[in-house]
Amino acid sequence: MPQAPTTITDEIGIALGNLADAAVAPFTPTLRLGVTGLSRAGKTIFITALIHNLLTGGRLPGFAALTEGRFIGARLAEHPDAGIPRFAYEQHLAALTGKEPHWPESTRKISQLRLTLKFQSKRWVSGMFGPTVLNLDIVDYPGEWLLDLPLLSLSFAEWSAQALKRAALPHSKTEAAAFMSEIQQTDSSKEATDVDAERLAAAFTDYLRRSREDGRALSTLPPGRFLLPGDLDGSPALTFAPLPPPVGPVRSSSLYAMLERRYEAYKAIVVRPFFRDHFARLDRQVVLVDTLRALNAGPAAVADLETALTDILSCFRQGDNNPITRLVARRIDRILFAATKADHIHSSSHDRLEAVMNRLVADAARKARFAGAETRSMAIAAIRATRESVIEDGGEKHEVIVGTPQAGEVLDGKTYDGKTEIALFPGDLPEHPDALFEADSLREGGRPVALNFLRFQPPQRLEKNAEGNVVLPHIRFDRALDYLIGDWLR
Amino acid sequence: MKPPFARPVSSSGDAAEEPRRPRVFEPAQAVALPESIEPITDIEAPLDDAARPPRLLGWVGRVAWIAGGILVSLALGLAAERLIAELFAAQPWLGWVGLGVLAVLVIALLVIIVREVASLLRLRALDQLRHAAIAALASDRNKDGAAITRELLEIYARRPDVARPRDELESNARHVFDGAEHVRLGERLLMAPLDTRARALTAASARRVALVTAVSPRALIDIAFVIFESVRLGGDIARLYGARPGFIGTWRLIGAILAHLAVTGGLVLTDGVVEQLVGQGLAAKLSARLGEGVVNGLMTVRVGIAAMRVVRPLPFEVVKQPMVKDFIPELANVLNAEKK
Repeated sequence: MPQAPTTITDEIGIALGNLADAAVAPFTPTLRLGVTGLSRAGKTIFITALIHNLLTGGRLPGFAALTEGRFIGARLAEHPDAGIPRFAYEQHLAALTGKEPHWPESTRKISQLRLTLKFQSKRWVSGMFGPTVLNLDIVDYPGEWLLDLPLLSLSFAEWSAQALKRAALPHSKTEAAAFMSEIQQTDSSKEATDVDAERLAAAFTDYLRRSREDGRALSTLPPGRFLLPGDLDGSPALTFAPLPPPVGPVRSSSLYAMLERRYEAYKAIVVRPFFRDHFARLDRQVVLVDTLRALNAGPAAVADLETALTDILSCFRQGDNNPITRLVARRIDRILFAATKADHIHSSSHDRLEAVMNRLVADAARKARFAGAETRSMAIAAIRATRESVIEDGGEKHEVIVGTPQAGEVLDGKTYDGKTEIALFPGDLPEHPDALFEADSLREGGRPVALNFLRFQPPQRLEKNAEGNVVLPHIRFDRALDYLIGDWLR
Repeated sequence: MKPPFARPVSSSGDAAEEPRRPRVFEPAQAVALPESIEPITDIEAPLDDAARPPRLLGWVGRVAWIAGGILVSLALGLAAERLIAELFAAQPWLGWVGLGVLAVLVIALLVIIVREVASLLRLRALDQLRHAAIAALASDRNKDGAAITRELLEIYARRPDVARPRDELESNARHVFDGAEHVRLGERLLMAPLDTRARALTAASARRVALVTAVSPRALIDIAFVIFESVRLGGDIARLYGARPGFIGTWRLIGAILAHLAVTGGLVLTDGVVEQLVGQGLAAKLSARLGEGVVNGLMTVRVGIAAMRVVRPLPFEVVKQPMVKDFIPELANVLNAEKK
């Protein structure tokens, strides 16, 4: 029987928070946008682009409120929760638009931001009183932490079984070898000591870190704080590891019982507050999926990503809202599944990329729709790093993208230095996404599918608009934005 | 008895195509993106909503028309020839004058014909564009959408009043990747300002009709005025959206508007109820003539809306189509003015 992800106290807190929101909603409604994505999916870039585009009224032809001339402007506002750092929008933007543009560092801690939007409503009731104001709350966090959410409904025994089974899989054999031998030498029912717990936790953390560096099986490796511990480094709540259940009854002084207590403590101290404070009260959700990276890494990583997304998304509260239940129970009523980094392929392949991502999130999307939420999928790039072109070679037309690969990217044995501009043809995406999910290698119609997506440097020369603000190029970002918040700006 | 056998069936077409491998090129090799936008004029017009009426005459009728046409042309030619010949017989200089006038007439007729044909083609282009836009909204293919944007820019290329939206559309369309988004952008930027003006034209026309009906002494006068205003309104709206209807074009347009009214008349039941209430109830209590005025005004509003739907080059997708009830406040103003 799966455990409930929250306690009764949490639920009361959530309901009270929603009531408080509902009380001020007639004056200034608040829209909570959940930007969900595993690490390196592009959350920080998405949020930075969103803020910048709204602040400067960027080039967003598909964003109805702006094109219809009803969007008056936006400004950064003080977030009511003073205990959490502010999203470092200025630094991220400076990194992207500075002298040597580079992508921002990967996120290591949680941060949030409130954006106040002002617009003229089309509805006559709201339109009568002049411009309307809407608060948009956004949270940025390390993607690794998201992997913890499924733990909320798993007991220690269930989680141990899953984790050990995964460590024994053939593709993680090399990384997990040291940890598995530690497990085999440890007797779960022996007397609990901190030394044993620390030894096991160290071996487990090492295994997690190595498999992440490998880049193949990054997605389904909770607990996320083992990789990014923050302040809790070395605390008992972070010193545990999966254990096979002991034979016979579990004594309360055994190692197994101790680790189980610590696992529960991890959930209570780390995971549950994270979920309660940031994910239990969302209105809209965008799920960013770095499909191309998983495709680069092969079918195992693709399958891994699929499981991880399905598990994570089942933690969110999705479904349709009605005005009365909304007072105490907010639900996510619109979900956008976005295949990010669509600028790494030519636009003629975007529909195939969307098809692959749809196949990836098929289970999650079906569940969400059943719950009553509306879903849509799109291939987007919040910041477009390449441009498109066509190359004729031996009578064959190749749709290529032109850009500067990041230093260290490799294709055909050539390593790039991050300065040379190239025209890349990344290979044809398969027409049927199922080809990418088959067990051993990427094949379509019996032939292997050859794909190689390089990571590119951010755009080096950016246009400026009449006010001197940088215009960030993008792909379908306007449409994504319109879907996510457009109906609140009517 | 035949023995069992197995033979490979030629595999389907898509499997035959080898997936291409990733490759790197020099950026210098990249050619400028060719203009790959295909014109949409050769797109086949999709099926009409209504069934076509059966041809009454068929090929016999066509033969009759052609034969008749030839006869009339011959008669006209002969008459002209005789006239000129007689003029020459009377006085040579009179003959020359007659010949010159005839030449002027022929040239003027030619110009008129060319203009009529151009106007008909324009009407057809608008119609085709709308069908293509509907198709692009459904298919969401970038190529279809880009073609529509280009066509729109061409239609409004020589209109100073929409210069700014046109510029905006041109600069933004390059950053749009979906066909449907092209159509929506075009509608928001180019159509929305024109819609506002079409609405204003319709409202003004409806007010005039209501006023004339309310004060006219004879029913015949208001019928004539309603017809006159309707034709004028249809032409105005068509010109606003980029059609330049000539004589035949106007007839075509009126036919299309009437057909549209006939088709939608039964559908906008809710609007009809409003009309009934306003026309028969409230206004009629004030005065029978006023009630009739409002009803006639609403009729003109309908003509205006139908004209918009017929000539607007894009379907109503993101911009709300005006409804009859939106115009009632305007007409109520006329009533108030009347009462004073």
